[in-house]
Amino acid sequence: MSVSSDATPDLLNRLLQQTAAGDEKAFAQLYERSSSRLFGLCVRMLVDRREAEEVLQEAYVTAWQRASSFDPQRSSAMTWLVTLTRNKAIDRLRQHGTAHFDGDAALDGIIDDTPGPSSQAEQSEQYARLQRCLEELEPQQRRSVREAFFTGCTYHELAERTKVPLGTLKSWIRRGLLQLRACLGS
Amino acid sequence: MNTIDDNDRNHLRYAEYVLGVLDADARAAVAHEVATLDEAAVAVARWQRHLASLAYEAPAQEPPAEIWQRISQSLRLEQARSRPPVLSTTRWWDNLRLWQWIGAGAIGVAAACLVVVLQRPTTPPQEQVHGISLMVSSIHQENGVAGWTATMDLQRKQIVVVPATPSPVAANRSTELWLIPQGGKPIAVGVFQFDATTTLPLSPALLSQLGPTAVLAVSVEPSGGSPTGQPTGPVIGKGNIAGAPEGKDGQPVAHAVEPTGNLDMGALAGKRDIG
Repeated sequence: MSVSSDATPDLLNRLLQQTAAGDEKAFAQLYERSSSRLFGLCVRMLVDRREAEEVLQEAYVTAWQRASSFDPQRSSAMTWLVTLTRNKAIDRLRQHGTAHFDGDAALDGIIDDTPGPSSQAEQSEQYARLQRCLEELEPQQRRSVREAFFTGCTYHELAERTKVPLGTLKSWIRRGLLQLRACLGS
Repeated sequence: MNTIDDNDRNHLRYAEYVLGVLDADARAAVAHEVATLDEAAVAVARWQRHLASLAYEAPAQEPPAEIWQRISQSLRLEQARSRPPVLSTTRWWDNLRLWQWIGAGAIGVAAACLVVVLQRPTTPPQEQVHGISLMVSSIHQENGVAGWTATMDLQRKQIVVVPATPSPVAANRSTELWLIPQGGKPIAVGVFQFDATTTLPLSPALLSQLGPTAVLAVSVEPSGGSPTGQPTGPVIGKGNIAGAPEGKDGQPVAHAVEPTGNLDMGALAGKRDIG
């Protein structure tokens, strides 16, 4: 997966591997080239800016400590960083419990079904492919997969939050995921 | 596609795991597979690759400049070290023998040690002594023996874990430290070496949860730590947290804490009183 024009996947992979070797300069560059992406993700997931800042900080502290577990054969640096950051954000959201969420939220209301303006600038192949495949899903499938991704909710929490029966919601997400797999291939 | 067959179902679990929709039990089960089965790890990595690009739908935002400062300070990187330090460096927590002794005995002794150490001629000026804010925890194992002593330095935002008499842990496993707020889920503090002094940074999230109603716990995890962000292995130790607030005479006071028998994570979270 590539990111903005100033950071090729190869460069980020190399910087993360150098970080694993304890190279502080490489780590600083990695932060410089990836933090706005990850901060955008944190803000979207946590909404509260202050919490987003804290989670971003935790994510990079952990990235430094666990960089040696990055396997470039299996993942790209950006995938690795997004996964780590998202896990930190989910941990934080689950600490709050469901009280954090707006109880009246409906699937249509929360997540805009169209990608945000900045993403139009993203020409990443992987991103474009995922978007094409998402387009092929039924609207509820697409919305519920996105909703799950950005809220970090479990099936139960999502069902409660969206007032959709649990079985229906599971079916939307599962079929959405299977269809995505078929579309994206390996 | 009218039905979901077994093969699909298996693949779905990995996708659901990556998406984060599974509840804690199912999540832990997949995490275990990922840690032990190469096939599961490959499938999960593939789903991570597929779904991570969804993150690009969130508009990129420049984080405030001080975030990097905080990261490099908490990791004590060179860049941070080259800046003028806020506090002079006191290295009393590096005294391994001191902490092994404390860990092996009653934690109440810690109060005396702190007083003694802080009163030594080499201590920093008085105002810094007043500013020091410490919490201590003696982490007991199932056999009742103190495994580690953890000292939380709120100013330095770090926790120092010192082994007392820890039971050995398999070489291909890691010990991970968790903070469990009252009624909350465990929050990862970090992986530490079970038989060596380890210093870990305390994030603002952790600092905000430190207190006498929270407990520390140690679990055994796959090498490198829990892959899920939650404990996946057995809990082998736990300890209450006691503040070392300043007494009337301006000196820190630590409280003795008693271990309780139950090493169950869920029960720990609901725990109210300290000894």
